[in-house]
This record gives sequence, C-alpha cells and structure tokens, in this order.
Amino acid sequence: MTPINPDQLIVQLTQWALSFLDSYPLVAVLVAILLSTVPLVAVFPICFAITTWLERKGLARIQNRIGPNRTGFLGMLQPIADGIKMLLKEDIVPKTSDRLAHFLAPVVLMVPAFTILSVLPFNRNMIPAAVDTGVILFFALGSVSTLAVFMAGWSSRNKYSLLGGMRAIAQMVSYELPLVLSGVTVIMMTGSLDTTKIVAQQQLSEWIQSSNAGLQCLGQIIGWNVFTPWGFAGFLIFFVASLAEINRCPFDLPEADSEIVAGHLTEYSGFKYALFFMSEYVSAFAINGLSTTLFLGGWSGPNIRPPWSDDPNALLIPGFVWFFAKMFALMLVMIWIRGTLPRLRVDHLMGFAWKFLLPLAIMNIFVGGFYYYAPRWHGIPVVGWPIGFLVMYLSYECIGRLNRGPKTAQRVYHYAS
Amino acid sequence: MIIAFSILSVIAVISALLAVRLRNLVHATLTLMAFFVALAGLFILLMAEFLAAVQILVYVGAVGILILFAIMLTQQVTGNVKEHIEAHGALWGLAGATAVLLTLLLPAILKTALPLQPVVETIDPSVRALGLNLMSPYAIALQVIALLLTAALLGAVVIAISPEKSEEEKKS
Repeated sequence: MTPINPDQLIVQLTQWALSFLDSYPLVAVLVAILLSTVPLVAVFPICFAITTWLERKGLARIQNRIGPNRTGFLGMLQPIADGIKMLLKEDIVPKTSDRLAHFLAPVVLMVPAFTILSVLPFNRNMIPAAVDTGVILFFALGSVSTLAVFMAGWSSRNKYSLLGGMRAIAQMVSYELPLVLSGVTVIMMTGSLDTTKIVAQQQLSEWIQSSNAGLQCLGQIIGWNVFTPWGFAGFLIFFVASLAEINRCPFDLPEADSEIVAGHLTEYSGFKYALFFMSEYVSAFAINGLSTTLFLGGWSGPNIRPPWSDDPNALLIPGFVWFFAKMFALMLVMIWIRGTLPRLRVDHLMGFAWKFLLPLAIMNIFVGGFYYYAPRWHGIPVVGWPIGFLVMYLSYECIGRLNRGPKTAQRVYHYAS
Repeated sequence: MIIAFSILSVIAVISALLAVRLRNLVHATLTLMAFFVALAGLFILLMAEFLAAVQILVYVGAVGILILFAIMLTQQVTGNVKEHIEAHGALWGLAGATAVLLTLLLPAILKTALPLQPVVETIDPSVRALGLNLMSPYAIALQVIALLLTAALLGAVVIAISPEKSEEEKKS
C-alpha cells in the first residue's frame, strides 16, 4: 500500500478501483477511458455555469447594475434557470436553411472544444490523454472550430450569419499565427510538445525536494515561464490572440450584436444555441488552461510537502486546485476586458494581428533563443534576462510606433460646443 | 483496431465519393474535410499522432478554409443541376480501369510475396526524429521551400495591391 498523498488522492483512488478489474483487461480499458473522460464532461459544464453567473455579475458591477438576483442566493441559481429555459425553447430552423449543416454545426464546434481539454495536465499524473504531441494536437483540433462557425454561418441562409461566418474565418485564421508562434517559444525552450514535460520544466525539482518549506513553495513558482522576458511577452501575445481566437470581446466581431444581429448565431435558438454558448465557454477554458500550462506553471503553485509524507514529490494542496484557480483568474480577466474595452473595427483587427502581434511573436522567438544560449552565473540568467527584456520592450515600442497611423485632425463640433 | 479501421475507412471512402459527386460546392468541401478527418483517424491508428495533428491543422484548418474562402468569392455556389456530364466517357473509363486491374495490377499483387513485418508495440517519439531530420539532412530543402513560400506570399501581396491609377484614368 502506497502512502496516501493529498495531491494524488484521485489518481490513487482510480488505480485502486481499476485494480479490481485486473482479470478483465477489456473492461478495465473501458472503465479507464470512462474514468478519464466523464469527469471532463461533468466538470467543465459546471465551470461554464459558474462562469456565466460570474460574468453576468461582474459585467453588472462594471456597468453599475445589480445583475441576476432573483434565483437563489445572489442569483446563483440563474445558470440552472437559463439552462431550463434554453431546453424548453422551441428549436426554430429557417425554412431555406441547409438542414444537415445547420444541425451539425454546433456538434462540430462542441466535439473539439471538449476533446482539446484532454491534453491538459490538471495535476501530476492527472492528464486524460498523455500524448507526445499534446500542444500541436490542441492547436490542430482547435482549428476545427473555425469550420464549425463557417458551417453555422453558411447553412443559416442569412446575410448576417454569412457575414459573421466570414468575419470569423478571417479573424480566427489570422490570430492563429501569433497564438501558435508565441506558444512555439515555450516548445522551443522545453524541447518537447508534451504538456506534462512543459509543466515539469517550470518546476525547480531541487528546491521542491529540499526540506525547507519556503524553498518548496518558491520552487513551484519561480520557474514559471511568465517570469522570463520571452515568457512574459509570449504570455501577453498568447492571451490577446486567444481572446480573438475564441471570439471574445474586444474581438467579438463575428457575433457583433450591434452590427450584424448575432452573426453566425442569428438563426440558432433553443438548445442548439445553448450548445454554441457552452462550447464557446469550454474552448475559452481550454485555451486559458493551455496558457496556464505553457506560461503559468500549469498545476504548480505555492505548495508544501505534507509533514507526514516521505515521498519527496508529495504536495499538500492538490495541483488541480491551482490549475483551476489560474484558469478562473484568466477567465475573470476576460470578463473584465469584456466590460471595459470597446469592439475593434474590422481593418484594425486584421492590422493588429498581422502588423503588430505577428512581428512581436517572431521577435519573441529570437529573444527566446538568445535567452537560452546567453551565459549564466550560477544558473541565474544575468545576461539573458535584462537584455532579453530590453530587446522585447524596444521591439514592442518600435512596432507600436511603426503601426501608428497618420494623426487625425481634431474633430470640430459645430453645434455641440 | 479492425473495427475502428473499418469504420474510419468506410467514412473516408463515402465522404471522398461524396466530395466528388456532390453538386453543391460547399457541401463538397465539407465532405472533403470529413475525409481529411477520417484520414487523420487512420493516421492515429498507425500511431502517427503528429501526422494526424498536422493533417487536421493543415488540411482542415488551412486548406479547407482556403477552399471555402475561394468558393465564397465565386458567383455560383451550386452547379447547374440539369446539366449532366455525358455518361459514355464514364463507361469507357470504367472499362479501362477494369482492364488495367485485371491485366496489370492483379497479377502483380498475386506474384509479390509481402514480407512479414514485425509487430510494433510502441513507436519512439517520432516528433524528435522528425525535427532532427528536418534540421540536419533536409535543412536545405526546408530553407528552399520556406523561400518559395515567402516568394509566393510576396507575390500574392503584389497581386492583391490594386494597381495605381494610370495617368489617363486620373484625368477622366
């Protein structure tokens, strides 16, 4: 019997449950698959419900409103009420629509949104699909969602929907480049596409395994990629590009409700709309989970070894607590941005991706390479850090200045003044 | 394994046939993408995850979307339904294909003794080997392709920039 570690409790329970099925290998495989997939399908819709409530409350706070407050304490049961409403609504399909494509679009969006969750490590030994090419699989399956949005927009036979679909394709294809390129830096520094290895590389195992509690805590934090110049810039580029990739504000042009009704969602109602809504949030979780994994140390956080344990890798707080905490923190930033920033114009959106984020991401790759080979003093990057930071800052300034358009003359108001 | 293979190959064959036969261009593209996804599934069965991921990333995420973009810029999405291709050509083609199959391919297949491949349990991480190959023996080829693509990109930009108005147009 292995000693019980708090952070490995679920893993150990799973192994214990599977040990009963040793004599039935086929059943064991089936149960193992179910044990790793069912929690994903159960937990993330709950997260989605919590987030919709958080978003409504947060936006209400920003806009000086109260927000939902009728259902349950502080309106916390609002997601359930919304869900029932969505389920009971009539499913209206336009007469001239392309039935099959119209029906399949939410499914095509939903499946990859949930599938990409399976390459994220939620804790040590807790990854639904430990594939060798996790990151690239994530981006590959994530790119399918573009197709789903197009299907929705095209099959509705609605001008607004089609406009939304075309906007979505243009936007998602453009922002995929800075997204992937900023992730490439991390892959380059880790030397692996495996998400578990990327997380392990961000932990200082010597400090974690030492006996000093402070060092144990610090060892889980200090190695995060976000604390390096290339990681910091990469994280910001990744975050901005991911906002565009999942059509969140201020890049929500595909469903800009003040311009093109609701874009590709115009002709969807009832449960299909709910599916769209949910997969949008699930892909937001997935992409925030990936940026957590790539830049914010994945499941590692301030953590100490439990006093009763001899296992040098044991931790007191389960890693998934930190993972979900970081994921929700990023989600909150997204809500904050949604409540604060106005929507971009289409040409500005494209210009921002191609003229600003892309050169910056390419510059970041060079800075990452320099940081890797720069001389270190006792393992501390005394040369790489300041020079890398300076180069990144200067290129940010330069590219920003180059992008500055002609100065517009101040508008003269004839009647308002 | 066999079950998954048969399901995927049936999907692949049907969607490929549909992609050729369907009259609506968008439908044809969508079925083509279904074919690409089924092909990626077959790659996964062969334990080539990277190839599967690239298949989806490049063909579904980029090539398919590009085709859709091109279709959206054309005038007529659905072909003329009443118009049919003359069917005699298809019959001749079928006859020719059958003749080739019977006379050339079948004897060749029957004669060749397929060497028994050892059963592979696991494959070493292929991405590293792929990267090393791309960076050392094939580095020059990679550079040449990159140069070609850059040239193509610049060419596309040059074509896309609207030509400056000539003097005569400015006058009028």
